[in-house]
Amino acid sequence: MAQFFPKWTNRLPLYVGLGVVLTAVGVVASVWYFGSPWYTDVGYQPVQPVAYSHKLHAGDLGLDCRYCHTNVERSAVASLPPTQTCMNCHKFILPESEKLAPVRASWESGQPIEWVRVHNLPDYAYFDHSAHVTAGVGCVSCHGNVARMEVVRQVEPLSMSWCLDCHRNPEPHLRPVEEVTNMTWSPRQDHDQFAKDHIEKMKLSPSTDCSRCHR
Amino acid sequence: MSDKIKIEQQQYWRSLEARAAGGEVFDPVPDSAGHSSDNSWSRRSFLTLMGASMAMAGLASCRRPKERIIPYVQAPEEIVPGNPKQYATTMPFGNRSYGALVTTHEGRPTKIEGNPLHPSSLGAASAYMQASILDLYDPDRAGGVVHDGVDASWDYFVAHWKTLEEKFLANEGEGLAVLAEPFASPTLFRLKREFEKRFPRATWATWEPVSDENVVKGRKLASYTPSEDHRQVYRLDLAKVIVAVDSDFLLGEPESITMARGFASGRKVATENDEMNRLYVVESAHTVTGASADHRLRLKPSEIGPFLKALAVELKKQGLNLGDIPESHGFGEHSQSIAVMARDLMAAQGSAVILAGLHLSPEVHGLVALLNDVMAGEPIVRWVRGGSSSVADTSALGSFAADVSEGHIDTMVILSGNPVFDMPADVDFKRLLKNTRNTMHVSLHRNETAQECNWYLPKAHYLESWSDARAADSTYSVIQPTIEPLHGAKSEVELLSLMVSGTDKSSHEIVRDTFKWMMSSGDFEKSWQRVLHDGIVRLEPEGPGPRPNPNAAKSILENRVFARQVTEASNLEVIFTPSYSTYDGRFANNGWLQELPDPVTKLAWDNAALISPTTANEFDLVNGDIVTLALKGRSIEIPIWIVPGQADQTVILPLGYGRTQAGRVGSNVGVNTYELRTTDAMHFATGLSMTKTGRRRDDMANTQDHSSMEGRPIVREATLDEYKKHPEFAREMVEHPPLTSLWEEHDYSEGYQWGMAIDLNACIGCNACVVACQSENNIPVVGREQVQKGREMHWLRVDRYFNGEPENALMVHQPVACQHCENAPCEQVCPVAATVHDKEGLNTMVYNRCIGTRYCANNCPYKVRRFNFFNFTKDIPETTQMAQNPDVTVRSRGVMEKCTYCTQRINRARRDTKLAGAKLNDGDVVTACQQTCPTGAIVFGDINDPNSEVSKVKKRNRGYELLSELNVKPRTSFLAKIRNPNPELEES
Repeated sequence: MAQFFPKWTNRLPLYVGLGVVLTAVGVVASVWYFGSPWYTDVGYQPVQPVAYSHKLHAGDLGLDCRYCHTNVERSAVASLPPTQTCMNCHKFILPESEKLAPVRASWESGQPIEWVRVHNLPDYAYFDHSAHVTAGVGCVSCHGNVARMEVVRQVEPLSMSWCLDCHRNPEPHLRPVEEVTNMTWSPRQDHDQFAKDHIEKMKLSPSTDCSRCHR
Repeated sequence: MSDKIKIEQQQYWRSLEARAAGGEVFDPVPDSAGHSSDNSWSRRSFLTLMGASMAMAGLASCRRPKERIIPYVQAPEEIVPGNPKQYATTMPFGNRSYGALVTTHEGRPTKIEGNPLHPSSLGAASAYMQASILDLYDPDRAGGVVHDGVDASWDYFVAHWKTLEEKFLANEGEGLAVLAEPFASPTLFRLKREFEKRFPRATWATWEPVSDENVVKGRKLASYTPSEDHRQVYRLDLAKVIVAVDSDFLLGEPESITMARGFASGRKVATENDEMNRLYVVESAHTVTGASADHRLRLKPSEIGPFLKALAVELKKQGLNLGDIPESHGFGEHSQSIAVMARDLMAAQGSAVILAGLHLSPEVHGLVALLNDVMAGEPIVRWVRGGSSSVADTSALGSFAADVSEGHIDTMVILSGNPVFDMPADVDFKRLLKNTRNTMHVSLHRNETAQECNWYLPKAHYLESWSDARAADSTYSVIQPTIEPLHGAKSEVELLSLMVSGTDKSSHEIVRDTFKWMMSSGDFEKSWQRVLHDGIVRLEPEGPGPRPNPNAAKSILENRVFARQVTEASNLEVIFTPSYSTYDGRFANNGWLQELPDPVTKLAWDNAALISPTTANEFDLVNGDIVTLALKGRSIEIPIWIVPGQADQTVILPLGYGRTQAGRVGSNVGVNTYELRTTDAMHFATGLSMTKTGRRRDDMANTQDHSSMEGRPIVREATLDEYKKHPEFAREMVEHPPLTSLWEEHDYSEGYQWGMAIDLNACIGCNACVVACQSENNIPVVGREQVQKGREMHWLRVDRYFNGEPENALMVHQPVACQHCENAPCEQVCPVAATVHDKEGLNTMVYNRCIGTRYCANNCPYKVRRFNFFNFTKDIPETTQMAQNPDVTVRSRGVMEKCTYCTQRINRARRDTKLAGAKLNDGDVVTACQQTCPTGAIVFGDINDPNSEVSKVKKRNRGYELLSELNVKPRTSFLAKIRNPNPELEES
């Protein structure tokens, strides 16, 4: 009688076994990778064209975020300051500094400084700064304590589940509206009560509808 | 069937083929492979490309895309990045102008809407206006000054002009000619006067292929002061009976927005007891206006004049004071109907109005002006002075052409237009240009004319330059730029100013000078800022309007256009008409307009000779058959298309196609029908012969059978009488058992609940909403081949149905977009939950989840979902990308999309009111289609608020929902169409 199975099938269990192992490794690797900050770019810290220090300006000197990010309360984008904002002070302070050469070059030539975006959402996600900042979500909640960063880096995953965590349970992330730019604000003892009142007063109802961010 | 159903669903059909087949004929997959031969890929090329793109994808995914943020160096005070601004400007269109509000994102215009303060746009915008933004960004505009085929510069041209100027100053302009388009601009008017003063012996000719020349001439015939230009301004909202004589006043003619708004305000009945105006349409073509008719009579073009005469005589017989007019010999079989119509008009005397088509002869317009003066009077028809506008003058073309061909013209400056393409064939302008040494053409594109001229000067788009305009009622409006000229282009104003002043001034200065000249008193700067903000200023009218002279009727009626001629059946008549898409050819390179299905034929990307079903039978023709049309020794070959309800022995030839130098979109699309048009028969001719060639076009893209809804009662209409007897007829048309849901239904009683109502009685089928939606939502253009396969991407389509016998069919239009069903069938079949409901009742589409199974589209009973079969947006040129709305995701291949109820506008309105500490009010959220609808047929808002406009409209008894028997609970509902036929005519 002819052999029903060809000879190579002898090694079939081995192949199957190998396949199972590889698949298992693949699954573990994917979970490990896609769940990790590498995938969500936490820690992304690109080199900027100007060695601007948030630590110095926002931290040591205590500039308010809104001095530079002027539109954060009225537009979807916080907006980066025009070169003019830098020159307001640096015409007089450190006018010869080597580090500030690109700023002066921009001011003289009229060519804008091309900053590198740190917090980069996908094009199909429409985040609105004004809606959050005016509702009492602090800058620090998404951007971390920028006042301690020499070079800005991404500290939160900015993934959809991370957004939804807060939209489903906003209370821990709320603060009085006048404190949104305060990097060192910490919740008081009665934060739960404050958050409850705040939500009621401001009529906050963070949506989890797809259409709120995707359109 | 239950006795409750009083009004039977009428038999509607979309195409003659579908009517014959008794159902659907469109097969979206024409051959087994599903793609045509010219894009078949070999296995090798497929693998090569796949391999390459895999490699690229692999590489690309390793790197996080590095994005740049580029702030200003010095921030402009008024710009907040992320928040768009609107600027008031004006779109000039021949000697008409339409006020616009242009949305700009960080200095980049993205959307055009009507200016509510402007009398000719009333906040609405036509399809042409909406689409003109695409012309601004047209990559084929790129390029600078060209001199004899070599790139040059504006400064070089200025230097060249200076040498010519010396010569012409010395000889007072002998040999200098300007060929301009009609305009309504006070600045151009002022410059023209200065030009005539500076060069008294120069020639100024005015040419536009489609213009109101005959209307103006007609009014002169009927006036005491025949030397003046007058125009009439209509208030159709006050009219009770309207007779349109070959007049497409709802769409094809100037001021169509105000006309449509006025007409529709007399149609939007809230209850069965409301009064409704009545529209009689007598026409040769089947137009959009004909679709709204209560009575429609189709006549050959040569019978239009005799018909009007018969009507005038009948009106006089019934007591209308028309002076002494000659007798008429009746109008054969229609005499009885004319008598009934005249009775209706007489009964409504004081609020009855007759409208005549632009293309009819001056005598017809003269007669109509006289009739209107006694039948309507002010304020329904108001005569105003033409003022600072200019009118095309075809009669002067002959002497102009003679001058040129005899070599008297040494230098010709052509201000805009495209005379090489659109001049009458007998003028042969291309040959004429060879007799002129210096020819200069300022134009948006290097078009057919520019190719034949020594100099091409790129013209600035109206969104890039300063100018001004006077509206039909003399309101002054400013044209202010919303962006710097993209290609360093100059405006006509700047060129003309250079010619009259010898100095190179900016258009800003020139227009301000005009405004100073017009403003006799007051604070100039303050008024100027005001006009920049509002877009308009109501200046003193230029004296009282002239009066018509009733004694002119007799001499007018003696003209031969009113004589009835007996013609042989083989003697075809032809009408040249501007296309609904490309107009006279100026919009040929506009993808949005090319892809816009014609509201009557539903053809996209083509024109055709339109004939009636009977004529088609006589000549044994079917749609797409190519025929030879011959007229006075000239001939063209063109495919035919059959239009039910068109007059027999009549061929309608849409102009504006067959351009050879339009650009990448519009070149060689359709057939150039100007080749048959001659000076003695500009709009209409008899003696056309048609012969079948035996060849045919099978690749014509026609959407009329796409998305068929299988004979269900989709369009519902009744006559006013029937409506009075059965006010609930629309809802009662469909009988169904009590509806129960398979699912536990969501609760939509909280918060904002969005809904829309569309009044079919106000919808005229003008397509403005389709282009507005395309502009607002970044909808790609897919091209003829894809449209042919039913893959057009328009989120909002306007369905066109016929009903009745093909010869006398009546047309109905119905806009259909996503109905936002509460029990959405699409959501139930999506395997990845890419389409889900939000709490406010929107059926949302989550692009980033969609994997492209297309189950949803298959399960949608309304066929409103659109699939990206290709990456249509990938190859959009960089300039055109600037037209896209940054608030809406640009979709890629393999993704489903559909109407979102303009969710980005809802979000923005919600945020803006929240930042202002307020609550959304009714009217804060306006969808793009609703915003631009000339007739206000579309209402959108919160249906949870019983006082919102949309809630009120939805409660009207004409309301019904499409396929409500499926229990899908659509959020969009319709109001049934009501026609108001004359009971006396119904009986006869």
